Amino acid sequence: MTLSAEASWEDLMRAANRGEQQPYVQLLREITPVVRGIVRARGSALGNEGCEDVVQDVLLTIHLKRQSWREDAPLRPWLYAVTRHKVVDAFRARGQRIDLPVDDFIEVLAAPADPDPFETQDMDRVIDRLDPRAAQIVRAIGVDGETAADTGARLGMSEGAVRVALHRALKSLAQLRERMIE
Amino acid sequence: MKTEDLIAALSADTTSQPTMGARLLRTMPVAVLVALVAVVALWKVRPDLAAALASPALIKTAMPAVLALAALWLARGLSRPESRARAQWAVVLVLLAGCAVALVQGLMLGGMSGLMTALDTPNLLTCFLSIPVLSALPLAAVLWSMNSGAPSNPRLAGAAAGLLAGAAGTAVYSLHCPEDALLFFAPAYGMNVLIMVGAGTLLGPRWLRW
Repeated sequence: MTLSAEASWEDLMRAANRGEQQPYVQLLREITPVVRGIVRARGSALGNEGCEDVVQDVLLTIHLKRQSWREDAPLRPWLYAVTRHKVVDAFRARGQRIDLPVDDFIEVLAAPADPDPFETQDMDRVIDRLDPRAAQIVRAIGVDGETAADTGARLGMSEGAVRVALHRALKSLAQLRERMIE
Repeated sequence: MKTEDLIAALSADTTSQPTMGARLLRTMPVAVLVALVAVVALWKVRPDLAAALASPALIKTAMPAVLALAALWLARGLSRPESRARAQWAVVLVLLAGCAVALVQGLMLGGMSGLMTALDTPNLLTCFLSIPVLSALPLAAVLWSMNSGAPSNPRLAGAAAGLLAGAAGTAVYSLHCPEDALLFFAPAYGMNVLIMVGAGTLLGPRWLRW
């Protein structure tokens, strides 16, 4: 199934939940500026790079918790609630208290679409703490843009095994980041 | 790492996580069944169970069972981050208020001496030792299931999980409990459910963080 460029976020997320990769990429690309806008509006003190760390935290959480969105509900309230939760967490970790009323988010504008200029540090630090093979898989697919099949062929694993390893690695990343916060 | 790279990694992970509902369906019937089997095999059901369930003492079983269902609905609502679960709260609070009213009415009729007489039985100790034990597995099942949700308030979600587990454990225990005086089961069951709510409240922030 192909979804048009104007497909609603709900349609994209439903397709993503069925395991379709392309609509999911489109959705994550479209929500990133919105999340970035919220984070920057609240966390100007963190600097752009610090904000981008938080944005990546939020995206990782959205990914791992996406099944808690009910498919017949609008996506935005869910998305804002997840973002709010992680943003509060991130600022608490950095010793800043912030108050984020949910309703505020409606007015937040997407950040200007500068094409993702920041190399963040935090995510690389936690990836380094994964076991070497898991880190290798995350980097191959993320940074080098390999497909799971390519990575599998190179590492002598089946494509399915690579996907399972990737899934576990992403879950570990989220847990490691949680622990960094404590 | 650039955000675009992270998106590439995330989107390649097409493994779907089970939903909270799917996990609950898988674990909760087993947890309750284990508790039921334990009561039948170890505690023994009361000999006059059929007669008791046909009498007003049915409320001992029915009320916790209904409360457990309402708490289940509440726990599901609270594990969605955007939901405040207002309708669920309303139903649960009405049920809890009903229990409180029944207890107060019983106290007004029987007085403190009535309460003391009703509670002066070795079954009180059995009750306090049994319900938390019977509720422990259901509590683990609910918390594990909720872990795949995203409760915006883990403490509150843990309390709802404790309410669900405590009410379910109480309904199961009532099949054994021979005490039918309101002034026994209302305060004793109520305290035990509160203990489980407390346990859930303590565990929630640890187990339900995300």
